[in-house]
Amino acid sequence: MKIYIILVILTLFAFISGWFGLINSTIIAVLLVTTFIKGGLVAEYFMGLKEVQFKYRIIPIVWLVFVLSLVGVAYYT
Amino acid sequence: MITKKELPPGDFGIWVIIYVEFVTFAALFVGYAFARRADVALFNESQLLLDQRFGFINTLVLITSSWFVVKAVQAIKKNDSKLSSAWLFRAMGVGSIFIVIKVMELSEKFEQGINLSTNTFFMFYLMLTIFHFLHVVLGLIILFNIYKKTKIGGYSDVDHRGMETGASYWHLVDLLWIVLFPLVYIMR
Repeated sequence: MKIYIILVILTLFAFISGWFGLINSTIIAVLLVTTFIKGGLVAEYFMGLKEVQFKYRIIPIVWLVFVLSLVGVAYYT
Repeated sequence: MITKKELPPGDFGIWVIIYVEFVTFAALFVGYAFARRADVALFNESQLLLDQRFGFINTLVLITSSWFVVKAVQAIKKNDSKLSSAWLFRAMGVGSIFIVIKVMELSEKFEQGINLSTNTFFMFYLMLTIFHFLHVVLGLIILFNIYKKTKIGGYSDVDHRGMETGASYWHLVDLLWIVLFPLVYIMR
């Protein structure tokens, strides 16, 4: 339940940022970080990778870091 | 010391599929971001035509449905098929809302004359969201089959690998949307 509530709150934050036109370079950085957190929570707790060996656990995390970092590069350069 | 499991939940085959999906969607997400970089004004202007409420509600829908699937797996681990099938039914019900909202959203866009060749933003928007939509449809079909098997007591606390396989796929669908939503609907 705790993980679900965190996911909902972070989603609400993203929506409010967009809906009220609050998007700037700082908010984009925050959105990238919160998206990483959300994705990580889904992988760890929903997919159950928290209980699995590191080599499998790390794959979605690396994927998130890779994708979101490149998105960040595209937005900031 | 807690011993970690050797392999991820479900059949390992589904994880191979999940890794392939990661690569495919990574290419699409990064492609979108760099295509935007080449024409920021066009992307920002086109993005204003999207209704962020659709994206927001659909994110909540997938998160909720995914959570219900977690509850279904937890229930079957306690050998409670009845409760597990009830959670799966709820997960399908909530997941179906995604389909309704997406069809509404896409119909609206098609009525406005928007299609794949409108501009680069809408090419990515339609490609990403329709491709993801197809994953939701497949995910719901998988959930339905798991639900049917659970209903007749086909899974137990010792044998629920099939359910975990389907659950992993459904969580992937959720995870992909979690990245797609801010990228396409919010960040500008």
